[in-house]
Amino acid sequence: MTSSIFMHPATMFIIGALLLPLAKKCKVQKVWLVLVPLVAFIQIQYLPESFGKVEWLGFELQFGRVDKLTMVFLHVFTLMALIGSIFGLHVKESGQHVAAWLYVAGSLGTTLAGDYLTVFIFWELMAFASVFLIWYRKRKRSIEAGYRYLLVHTFGGLVLLGGIFLRYQNIGDLTFELISVDHATLADYLIMIGFMLNAAVPPIHAWLPDAYPEATVTGAVFMCAFTTKTAVYVLARGFAGFETLAIMGAIMTLYGVAYAVIENDARRILAYHIVSQVGYMVCAVGIGTEMAINGASAHAYAHILYKALLFMGIGSVLEMTGRSKLSELGGLYKYMPYTMIFTVIGGIAISGFPLTSGFISKSMIIAAAGNNHQIVILSMLLLAAVGTFLSVGIKLPYFVFFGPNDSGLTPDEAPWNMQLAMGMAAFMCIFLGFYPDYLYDMLPYAVAYHPYTSYHLTETFHLLGFTGLGFYIMVKYLKPHDVSNLDLDWFYRRGAGWFMWVANKPISSTNEWVSNVYQNIGLRLTMALARALSWFDWEGIDWALDGSARGVVKGGEQVRQFQTGKLQHYIGAAVALLFIVLIVVVLV
Amino acid sequence: MIVNFLTYLRERPALLKWSFLAYLAFAIIFDFYADRHHAHFWGDHLVGYWAVFGLLGCLGMIVFCKGLSHVWLERDKDHYDK
Repeated sequence: MTSSIFMHPATMFIIGALLLPLAKKCKVQKVWLVLVPLVAFIQIQYLPESFGKVEWLGFELQFGRVDKLTMVFLHVFTLMALIGSIFGLHVKESGQHVAAWLYVAGSLGTTLAGDYLTVFIFWELMAFASVFLIWYRKRKRSIEAGYRYLLVHTFGGLVLLGGIFLRYQNIGDLTFELISVDHATLADYLIMIGFMLNAAVPPIHAWLPDAYPEATVTGAVFMCAFTTKTAVYVLARGFAGFETLAIMGAIMTLYGVAYAVIENDARRILAYHIVSQVGYMVCAVGIGTEMAINGASAHAYAHILYKALLFMGIGSVLEMTGRSKLSELGGLYKYMPYTMIFTVIGGIAISGFPLTSGFISKSMIIAAAGNNHQIVILSMLLLAAVGTFLSVGIKLPYFVFFGPNDSGLTPDEAPWNMQLAMGMAAFMCIFLGFYPDYLYDMLPYAVAYHPYTSYHLTETFHLLGFTGLGFYIMVKYLKPHDVSNLDLDWFYRRGAGWFMWVANKPISSTNEWVSNVYQNIGLRLTMALARALSWFDWEGIDWALDGSARGVVKGGEQVRQFQTGKLQHYIGAAVALLFIVLIVVVLV
Repeated sequence: MIVNFLTYLRERPALLKWSFLAYLAFAIIFDFYADRHHAHFWGDHLVGYWAVFGLLGCLGMIVFCKGLSHVWLERDKDHYDK
């Protein structure tokens, strides 16, 4: 039992994170940063089907449940942890690495969890560890964005926890299995909303483009990989076949890409584009057929690698130039040619060029929608593919590395470790395109799909080619401007502002006014009222009770006059009284 | 080397333009010979359907999104700090 906890890959990252400061002290931080993810990447192959079952307060917790769906996610998560750690090798602050690894541990723990309580524990670890990846940027905007991120995720966690409690109350069972659409209750929908918040499904998506662009350079590379894809995993595990998800997912693909077309900050473009890409996966989960679930898993795998590659490329530019806005960049291909090549590989992979990973994964989801005769959804997904190529495939590399005007910047090429990490991710993007079976063999169900048919090729040639033509025609209208665009975070960012304003202005001044009124009028009124009541008590009530109280006071006054305070008078009086009593008794 | 090659290409926009148009022509010709056995719906049977879809989709998206940004969504970059 104890040993089975140690084989949990999350434990490896947690212990690795805790020992990291020690490794730094011994000057082996860089070795340690490569070693731990590498061991985890190899070790996950040897996990048993079920391990780490614990009885706790009458709950049956299961820390390890491994099947093919788990494996494909574990595989890409540990691979990504390795690539991300290599990308961040030059970062000296151990804290950033500790936060990143705890975040990875949360994600792995959620993926392996066999019951909802374990899911919840690791879910929260993910949120709390990742917020430090934003705060470590140490700018005012990052601190604020981090707090918003944390608040939104705390809210999502509470919705999830509410769902879990309600479920336990209803059926007394917390095993994390597929929920059937026909028997889903309020509890299940609350759990689903909790998951959807992390998958950044509109209207609860705005935390993502708000927070990710404010994270550190390495932090953003980790964040773009784990939170949303863990959410896709739990949705695929619990909610496959929910029609709502198919519709929301298709809307997501267009929503995200629309913002990616208009945004100016390169990392915000990529962040919005995560919303779009995760939309494909959420949509596939909603379609729910074997092919669709395969497509969701394959797309998650491919997406993590090329999106991280893009974040690494733009992160390198940000690291070397201190800028990430398209309007302030341009002409960098002369100074950062390798970064440019890697970023372009990421861009063509995300657009689904033949011989890249995007081509073999995205098309699977689109074909699953087509096989299910959901033509509207299919068209929405393909329109989003057009927008993807437009915004991330062409616009982003064009304005950063080429562009109509030269920015005048002359940065150095990124450090070797960043290039190595980008090279690894770029290799995977191309490798999967050439050899899709490497990925297809890992998928939860047997794959009968062949991406390289002449029809699929011609469809892709046309979509990409004529999108390129559209860009060529409209390029002057796409020139980026240094502005930001409103999104639904307006509700809580302005809402919070209004709440503070209402608290500051009307409530505070009303409070002051009321207290003034009270001091000037209320207090006097109260005093007058007290005097009136006292008079009434004295004159009114006493009079009504036959003046008895006044009689008592008068009697007391008179009695007081008898009392002289001299002992012999009292004894004399007492003896005299005794005589009188005796005379009365004897004579009567 | 890559830098020199790309600079060479950038200085010759006409060459880029014509090779791009040649690619588009190739794509359209290729479409006539594609096997439409696995078509999902009526659009899949039309030659050039996805070319029109791609071009109109791209233009429409630029006009719609940029337009929406200009008339409604666009704000100063420190909008929320005020």
